[in-house]
Amino acid sequence: MNEISKSVTELIQQLGRLPGVGRKSAERLAYHLLRVHESEANALAEAIVAVRKNVRYCSSCYNLSEGPLCGICADPSRDSSRLCVVEQPRDLMALEQAGVYRGLYHVLLGRISPLDGIGPEQLTIEKLVDRVRVGNFSEVIMATNPNVEGDGTSLHISNQLAEYPVEITRLARGVTSGSILEYTNREVLADALTGRQKL
Amino acid sequence: MTAEKTDAIVLRAVGWSETSLIVTLLTRDFGKVSALAKGARRPKSPFEAALDLLCRCRIVFLPKSGDVLDLLTEAKLMRQFRNRTQRLKNLYAAYYVAELLRELIDHGQPQADVYHLADETLLKLEQDAQVDGVLLQFEMSLLKLLGHQPSMTRCVGCDTPLLDEGPVHFGLLVSGVLCDRCVAGQRQVIRMRGESRKIFTLLSEESDWESGWLTIPDLVRGECRAIIQRYLTVHFDRQWQLHRYLEDLAR
Ligand SMILES: [Zn+2]
Ligand SMILES: [Zn+2]
Repeated sequence: MNEISKSVTELIQQLGRLPGVGRKSAERLAYHLLRVHESEANALAEAIVAVRKNVRYCSSCYNLSEGPLCGICADPSRDSSRLCVVEQPRDLMALEQAGVYRGLYHVLLGRISPLDGIGPEQLTIEKLVDRVRVGNFSEVIMATNPNVEGDGTSLHISNQLAEYPVEITRLARGVTSGSILEYTNREVLADALTGRQKL
Repeated sequence: MTAEKTDAIVLRAVGWSETSLIVTLLTRDFGKVSALAKGARRPKSPFEAALDLLCRCRIVFLPKSGDVLDLLTEAKLMRQFRNRTQRLKNLYAAYYVAELLRELIDHGQPQADVYHLADETLLKLEQDAQVDGVLLQFEMSLLKLLGHQPSMTRCVGCDTPLLDEGPVHFGLLVSGVLCDRCVAGQRQVIRMRGESRKIFTLLSEESDWESGWLTIPDLVRGECRAIIQRYLTVHFDRQWQLHRYLEDLAR
């Protein structure tokens, strides 16, 4: 590209580093920002600065938070006898949107992935074990992703928690509501049978 | 380029964009394949759950030339890795199998024997408690198939058969046992018990590993694991990530 302007080139480069944004999209976004009203472009810039300045991890559960404690940890109406363990803040948000769970959370900030060099010490597992040790939890719900590494992370954590008097459960998995049994693949059916519930 | 069909084991899957994955596969007919799986991270992915780590699947891909990634167009799940033992050791052993394959298999070479070995090993690791023995047999069979098998019966210095059943010297750098004369001046030499050498000899002579899985006696299990891990580290001059995990669990 011939030198349009140093600032524009820099903006395109920065936008291009965002997930899902390729070179072409970055250019389109940059030219869009040049065309819109200055206040609109500034609002975006300020939102980025503000989110980085104000948002941090909750000191208790590692959810995203604007204060030392996140909204969920700070809410006295939440059931403090249940703890739900998730990989990422976005998993927590998805579960919250389901609207049936009133307990607390613990965000691991990843999953154990030895093949990619991510071990348990890089996650918030130590803090989780501390919380269970000093807390009054009766149940820890493992809500890691239902794949090999997610299950492995749950297995590691349940081993770590084995000495504490808490019940360890995991999310049910299996047949999607509204689907048809005969078209469900056998791995899903096996999960559904294993995790069957009392009617 | 025409589309190729083969069976594959997923050795790695990393996010490439919000919607796509880059997968590293051990294939039966094309060795290691690294391919882009477009749409694999969408909620209604055309690949469904076939690209999870250690899955066995039937794939169709478009090979690309040069530095460009191959393009994965289909992947149909045949078998997931299901850790029925619920033991971390079995899972980490399976990760380790993936790590060895990922690093030691080249792109493009047909590897039907290696594929078969890996598939059988993963099946075994899903349910078997004798993880150390299964791994040792996998490691030795893989080394043999790839032409990196250490010599266990004849001195690598002078080719004399070592008939004594007592402890022997094993040269990590020279890939094999050494007689008392040849050991002089060698670096990276360890002592190996006669019983351990017997296990390694059995494993390297076994022409058909499918004839059965060996049970390693408790007495030499630790030593055999330590030796093979050091050999793999020195011989390939690299640290294996999963060694640490397996050692931590052994404590
Ligand atoms: Zn919190
Ligand atoms: Zn010799």
